[in-house]
Amino acid sequence: MSWDYELAVIGAGPAGMEAALAASEHGVPTVMVDNRPASGGQFYMPLPATFNKASKSSVDKDGNFLRSLLDGQPVKQYKDTLVWGIFPEGEGWKVAVYGPAGPEAFNVRYLVLAAGAYDTPVPFPGWTLPGVMTAGGAQIMVKNQRVVPGKKALVSGSGPLILAVAANMISAGMRVEAVMEGARLFPRVLGHAYAAWGQWHRMAEGVEYLTTLVKAGTPYKLGWSVIEARGEERVEEVVVARMGANWKPLPGSEKTLAVDTLVIGYGMTPNTGLSRLIECRHEYDRRRGGWVPMRDETLQTSLPGVYVAGDMAGIGGAELARLEGRLSGLAVAVASGHLERGTAGELYGQMQRGLKSQRRFAGMLGALFTPGQGLFSLANDDTLVCRCEEITLGEVREAVAAGARTLTEVKMITRTGMGNCQGRMCERSVAHALVDALAAEQVDFEGIGNYKVRPPLHPLPVSVLAEAAED
Amino acid sequence: MRIETSSHLLPKVTRGKQVQVTVDGKTVAAYEGETVAAVLTANGIHTFRLTREHKHPRGLYCGMGVCYECLVRVDGVDNVRACMTAVADGMVVETCKEVEL
Repeated sequence: MSWDYELAVIGAGPAGMEAALAASEHGVPTVMVDNRPASGGQFYMPLPATFNKASKSSVDKDGNFLRSLLDGQPVKQYKDTLVWGIFPEGEGWKVAVYGPAGPEAFNVRYLVLAAGAYDTPVPFPGWTLPGVMTAGGAQIMVKNQRVVPGKKALVSGSGPLILAVAANMISAGMRVEAVMEGARLFPRVLGHAYAAWGQWHRMAEGVEYLTTLVKAGTPYKLGWSVIEARGEERVEEVVVARMGANWKPLPGSEKTLAVDTLVIGYGMTPNTGLSRLIECRHEYDRRRGGWVPMRDETLQTSLPGVYVAGDMAGIGGAELARLEGRLSGLAVAVASGHLERGTAGELYGQMQRGLKSQRRFAGMLGALFTPGQGLFSLANDDTLVCRCEEITLGEVREAVAAGARTLTEVKMITRTGMGNCQGRMCERSVAHALVDALAAEQVDFEGIGNYKVRPPLHPLPVSVLAEAAED
Repeated sequence: MRIETSSHLLPKVTRGKQVQVTVDGKTVAAYEGETVAAVLTANGIHTFRLTREHKHPRGLYCGMGVCYECLVRVDGVDNVRACMTAVADGMVVETCKEVEL
């Protein structure tokens, strides 16, 4: 079998860039595929190439540095390109992509999957209205595109990202009515958590976010959350409430705020479509974002030659992603015979301390900020859980009443997860609905399983699929 | 609205070359490097499509290519993600078109 490349790295965020660099630096012929016009992922996303910024932040500089290192390596970089399927091919894999030049496929011996994560969708009445958007989406619109999504916003979610988004929106001239942190934390605990967050070594930036809020008179409310959005064509007002035990809103605490924009950021969900498609073994870990691929100490999955790095393997942030990316790249260099095991052992050793501390911080953040079941009970029977196929929570509950006991069964009965997003938007809320409805039977998330992922991973023009079928 | 102010967190940027795009029959100014989603948002358009079943309005949600809520028609091609598509001079964008995949 001859390979077009020895290694394919899928995703060019912090993890993917480091993986491709580490492998290529040791002589592994590498291809890297990413769906954006430039490498960097969400964290190191550069401004559009045609835009120019007067001063650069440390994140800008780090991203540019990684991109320049990559451009100096003989790594084939596919940009603006989707991976819609990965198929077994001899001892390796066939990677099917679709980009500006149309469909293409190449064969590789090794895979590093680094597809990152996306904002965890949380359904509540009105969450499909225009003007309701994720923290990640708002961040891109403001920071990368330099466009404000509205005039007056509420930011509701948990964890550090919501502060960054709110501060950026305020700096951009928007009025932010409040930032609501759903976790019921004491300010002191929060201070320690942020101070200890290794990834947020840019502590000064964190302080600047808070200062920006204070100057604008925007309150940062702990233990509050949005519970409903109302409006006709767009969000006009939101209902917020104080959070009780296990993230259940406290009756009687509701307040109404007039806003035209609602930004939601309840943490991230690993984007595991690819590792599930090729059937790596997965486990459920709520605090790391849900279903994650199982890995050994070299980040190899249950499938030999397939590695997963970064947030896709459990939410850990950009610094951990970089370390994991490098580790997986080195592991491929060893497996492919380009790097001596002994030399690699030394390199691994140097990274262990960083890995350990980053994982500890990630674990602490997960423990503090992972939303509880109550947050996933904001929806009522009329609320859509599947945005694509327009399936309500009531329909999911009916399916459970009719005997559905797994996510796959709910999908077969109701069509949830069969739309364009391939279940990325509804999987978790349907899972929560199932676990909630079956509480008496003590069913857990592992027990109800997950949606089966099938190619194409993204909707494709029919002509592309027809062509692929002929091959 | 486009951000024209300059602050420490968001220093002033100069955008790419100005181009013209047509949005629902109206000519609007855009800048190279902007996404279709940014141009629509900057022009106060927040409903990008109507749902198949209930004709409910939908707009930008995930903003990063995952949710497929921001589908619009671009140069006659349906179901294009506004958030992942860069504008080009002369581009024709139509919102609220039937989406059938």
